[in-house]
Amino acid sequence: MARLKLQKICKYYGATTALASGDLQLDPGEINVLIGANGSGKSTLCKVVAGSVRPDGGQFELDGNDIRLNDPQEAREHGICLFYQELSLSGSLSIAENICLYDLPVRSGALVDTSRMTETAQSYIDKFASVVGEGFAHDTPVNKLRPDQKQLVEIMKTLASEARILIFDEPTSALDRSQVECFFSILRELKQEGRSIIFISHRMDEIFEIADRITVIRDGTTVSSHPVGETNQETVIADMIGEHPKATEKKAETTAQKGQVTTRYLDVENLSGNKLKQVTFSLGKGEILGLGGLHGQGQSALLRTLFGAEKRQSGTITLDGKSLRSGNPRAAIRNGLSYVSGDRVRDGVISERPILENVSPIHFIKEGKLFAFPQTLGQVVIPALKVLNTKYAHLNNSINSLSGGNQQKVVIARWLTNPPDILLLDDPTKGIDLSAKTELFALVRKLADDGMAIILYSSEDAELLAHSDRILVFNNGSITRELVGEDKNRFNLYQAAYSGAE
Amino acid sequence: MTRSNSFKTQAAATLRRFPFLPALAMLALLLILNGIAEPNSLTVRALKGVISTYLALVFLSVAQTFVVYTGDIDLSVGAILSFVNVSIVVIMSQLGSAPHQVLIACLAGILIGALCGLLNGFVVAGLRMQAIVATFATSILISGLALWVLPVAGLPAPSLFWKIYGGRSYGIPNVFFFITVLIFVLAVIAKTRLVTRLLAVGNGQLTAYQTGLAVTKIRIAGYVVCGIFSSFAAICITGDTASGDPLVGGAMTMSSVAAVVLGGTALSGGVGSAFGSAIGALIIGLISSLVFYAGTPSEWQNLAQGATILIVLMLGVLASRRINQ
Repeated sequence: MARLKLQKICKYYGATTALASGDLQLDPGEINVLIGANGSGKSTLCKVVAGSVRPDGGQFELDGNDIRLNDPQEAREHGICLFYQELSLSGSLSIAENICLYDLPVRSGALVDTSRMTETAQSYIDKFASVVGEGFAHDTPVNKLRPDQKQLVEIMKTLASEARILIFDEPTSALDRSQVECFFSILRELKQEGRSIIFISHRMDEIFEIADRITVIRDGTTVSSHPVGETNQETVIADMIGEHPKATEKKAETTAQKGQVTTRYLDVENLSGNKLKQVTFSLGKGEILGLGGLHGQGQSALLRTLFGAEKRQSGTITLDGKSLRSGNPRAAIRNGLSYVSGDRVRDGVISERPILENVSPIHFIKEGKLFAFPQTLGQVVIPALKVLNTKYAHLNNSINSLSGGNQQKVVIARWLTNPPDILLLDDPTKGIDLSAKTELFALVRKLADDGMAIILYSSEDAELLAHSDRILVFNNGSITRELVGEDKNRFNLYQAAYSGAE
Repeated sequence: MTRSNSFKTQAAATLRRFPFLPALAMLALLLILNGIAEPNSLTVRALKGVISTYLALVFLSVAQTFVVYTGDIDLSVGAILSFVNVSIVVIMSQLGSAPHQVLIACLAGILIGALCGLLNGFVVAGLRMQAIVATFATSILISGLALWVLPVAGLPAPSLFWKIYGGRSYGIPNVFFFITVLIFVLAVIAKTRLVTRLLAVGNGQLTAYQTGLAVTKIRIAGYVVCGIFSSFAAICITGDTASGDPLVGGAMTMSSVAAVVLGGTALSGGVGSAFGSAIGALIIGLISSLVFYAGTPSEWQNLAQGATILIVLMLGVLASRRINQ
């Protein structure tokens, strides 16, 4: 008998349908991977299972009994716990407090039993001991941690529930390969213990590595659910997009043959700073330069330093023959640089404000305008959004009404109002669905063909290999290898990333 | 370079564990300044005077802290204080002034304070109204109740009451014992599960809800604890003024909020300490006595006091920002 069975679950927010007909079945000791484009309803379905969203209809069976969950507390009592994609951590509390928050151990009635709490938390921290990185102790407050470390804390917190049904909503988006492998080995142990796991990820290779069953959701409806042995990548993608994959997916290999920089446009010499050691490279017009390597090896730091968002300690940056003084993002923008971060909430989106305002700031900086008239602004904003096929109802709607992928498109459109000379992409597709990714990279290639110089960092190796002309592999803040032409393949990338230097 | 960095991280860690340290340093500084302005201000007698006067504000600021932990605010603490003050004075005048009757009156006062807190919690967390507006409304309501219980100020409290509050045991003023007990109680309360949960809610109501915490109940609990500590403050003020006054607490609400901030608690919730608020209240007390001892002309005293509070606030903010950078 299935442990969990959802049938025809639906959820509406006003006029928008978050979930039209969600079906899900979960057996004991099974890992069911849920996949679908952004905004297809995966997260809503998970939240229904975890009790934090109340469905408007449908059947919810647990162990064969009809039940109704009113809040996450009741779900916990039924043995269901959810890893929240947007994390459910309390920033100023310590790692241990966060891990044990739901069920804080107490002594003499009401006092927190610190030693027991630390012990419990430590047992979960120890499982990840080899991959947590520096500055990760049980008493460290969560807001002092890096994004990947926060994600690990949320994983530990979910594991600490010891629930029968564990749901992981994109738990690996900020993790590097070794962290993912550590997490997967723990998931396999849990499976052996008979726990049921729902897992969401956008990374295809991960999905086929861990899944027992793959369930595809499209537009709020479950369209297929197969054991992993009876399906393959093409079928899954076809189910996701609702059509068969086009055979015309040409790779940009031809341009990659260029290899050497013909027109040097940006020259970086001995750049050092926070997390950066003596980085030297050059970039030509019309080139897409990829930054590879394990997560957090200085790729983001390089992009942020170029953009003036992080301080440079030494080294020179020469743009089109002119030496750039270390400055701030505002000066960098004036010099023709642009920066798109994967961390939309922190670096991109102006939260709660209209789409119009989210697209226009760069236009204002570059044009030095004093007044804004919605009509004239619209003429600038609408074409920029159109290039990216951004889906929105009205320019005055809050940006928060859009799905993650469309929010990112709005952020990119911001730069297209007044095109920059250099585009810095810092893991721009984090948490974005496949179709949006494809559109985005098509645009990036077009911009490069028009002469823009582009630096791309992506945490997905496949993306990096497919879309960059040349790859610099980072390790511990410095470039350890350059991959050009024939050398630019997965094997070399992994080898350089894992072994460090050549 | 690395050495100063490791010192900084250590300082930041210490500050995280004891967020009231800057306030404590400020308190010491103010004591010294008071001593320079008027050496007699550091005698046991003078300190007893300061503590007797400001113990009520100390309790009220502690009360406010439990609500601020969750990112809420309670603008009715002053009104609760007045209401409990007149209630216990009236109860004692009806019952009599034997020790057990005084005790009953105090217990009734604490119950009243708790009920006022429950009302606030219900309105803010249960009905989901804006804390700042809702508690402003309940403050008017509760003041109205206080005026109904005792329309005119001046009904005296029994002598037992103010004799204990103003008296000495073993040659040491009783208020010193009260404040010692308070410090002990606060140290214990800081370790409770409730405080961790209040802070978790202050860090983010949604994340706390998703964790499976009963957010509404926790916020209401915060308001109830606040009401109880406000009634302790009322008992102190009854001991200090030895009478009932339906308007006595009105001006103290904002001072309690200021004391909370001075003590290192964030108004946005999630970080802080009730002990810090107690120190903050004493800082406010010492500032006004400093202004007095420094011989400021009476028409300039408010200005000097306000400016000094601003300076102290700025110093506190700058210090913690430097350390956390």
